[in-house]
Amino acid sequence: MKVTVVDYGAGNIGSVANALWRAGGEPVVTSDPDRVRSAERIVLPGVGAAGAAIKAIRAGGLDQALDSARKAGRPFMGICVGMQVLADELLEFGNHRGLGWVRGIVAAIDPGENKSVRVPHIGWSEIDLGAKRSSVLGSRDRYFYFCHSFRLVRDEGIAVATVAHGEPYTCAIEFDNVFACQFHPEKSQIAGQRLIERFLAWKP
Amino acid sequence: MHGNRELRLPANRIIPSLLLRRGRLAKGVRFADYRDAGAPATICRAHSAQGADEILLLDIEASHDGRESDFGALEKVAAEIQVPLTFGGGMTNLDRIHRAIEAGADKVCLTTAALDRPDLIEEAAQVYGAQAVMVGIDVVRRDGDYKLYDHRTGWTVSKQLDDWVGEAVSRGAGEIRLCAVDREGTRQGLDTTLHDRVRARVNVPIILEGGVGDLDHVAAAMKAGADSIGLGTLLVFSDNNLVKVRRFLANEGLKVRS
Repeated sequence: MKVTVVDYGAGNIGSVANALWRAGGEPVVTSDPDRVRSAERIVLPGVGAAGAAIKAIRAGGLDQALDSARKAGRPFMGICVGMQVLADELLEFGNHRGLGWVRGIVAAIDPGENKSVRVPHIGWSEIDLGAKRSSVLGSRDRYFYFCHSFRLVRDEGIAVATVAHGEPYTCAIEFDNVFACQFHPEKSQIAGQRLIERFLAWKP
Repeated sequence: MHGNRELRLPANRIIPSLLLRRGRLAKGVRFADYRDAGAPATICRAHSAQGADEILLLDIEASHDGRESDFGALEKVAAEIQVPLTFGGGMTNLDRIHRAIEAGADKVCLTTAALDRPDLIEEAAQVYGAQAVMVGIDVVRRDGDYKLYDHRTGWTVSKQLDDWVGEAVSRGAGEIRLCAVDREGTRQGLDTTLHDRVRARVNVPIILEGGVGDLDHVAAAMKAGADSIGLGTLLVFSDNNLVKVRRFLANEGLKVRS
């Protein structure tokens, strides 16, 4: 299964490509908008700051390519910052406009009153499945690796999993041909591998 | 139960902390007397498969000798594992940090590089995010107090521990690796007093390391509030492996990844 990994200069492309290989995919890493536009299946990785990521995506002309692939119904997976950039508004180091696929904003994790909640959120957290069933997220695997300071809030009805780190927030979304998660399946050992296998087999 | 389950915090982390030297893993006592500890990619693959929550790989020659970090070994390790990887040693500028990330590191660990030039913490955090920047803090006990330690010279540093921890985090460190050098490789148990001292200053995750000799030491430190533990000697020179470690901790009522 060919899968196009979008390279816009933000991060762990190598880890994502390795994980796709292990799960039986054939990753093709590209920063060329035309190849993204015609991709059969797309992964948008990302680490670091969402504001810098969306700037790099726009600068490379990748925003329109991603839009058109999405409208053509190609299965899409966003990881971490690759999920955050789908929102309307990104509040990391300034205010940035996201791709706007998801009605929501990306804001800093609120540790609340609890002194034990660390920011950044780094480590393996147990997720809670939402009422909406997911085709990509299995029901059996619960521990995934998180590494982030910002998260998506105010999404409407597309959450398929949440995580409680401070205030509970959405950590995976799914709608139409789009799946995205805040955690890192490529770093989540066997649980992550199974998620990626399901994404590769997904026919939305 | 020790609170974690009710609070829904992340699982306690067990992190093999492995030293890279001349293309091989090595393990010493108090930063000296190194012995061979195996081939990096093979050993890391085993730790990943047995449930390491992350892996920390430190090139101990790069900053000592001022030479280039072993990016080749890093790349081979990264290709073999399915868990997060932090790389340290010789991360003295953004170019080297970039090469480490490209070679497959998810985070970098800045220790003496950050002491020499604290601005580097900010520079790295702005590009890769605070969550990708770990600052390593080596500490020794002298005259009844904790002092920062420079492994290159073997001397303490004039900067104060509390000040440096606060400065590192305000500059953008997303995580602290705290190593009690006096205990390193000695199997005396972890220094949770040191952990509490640093915890009182900052809210970022802290990885505590130095002195684990048996599984009770790990459990005792976790019960005392140190949620992330770096393991060196215990995994290298004993019959323990991470499957046994996790089973032991779960039986002790501690939250570990299942």
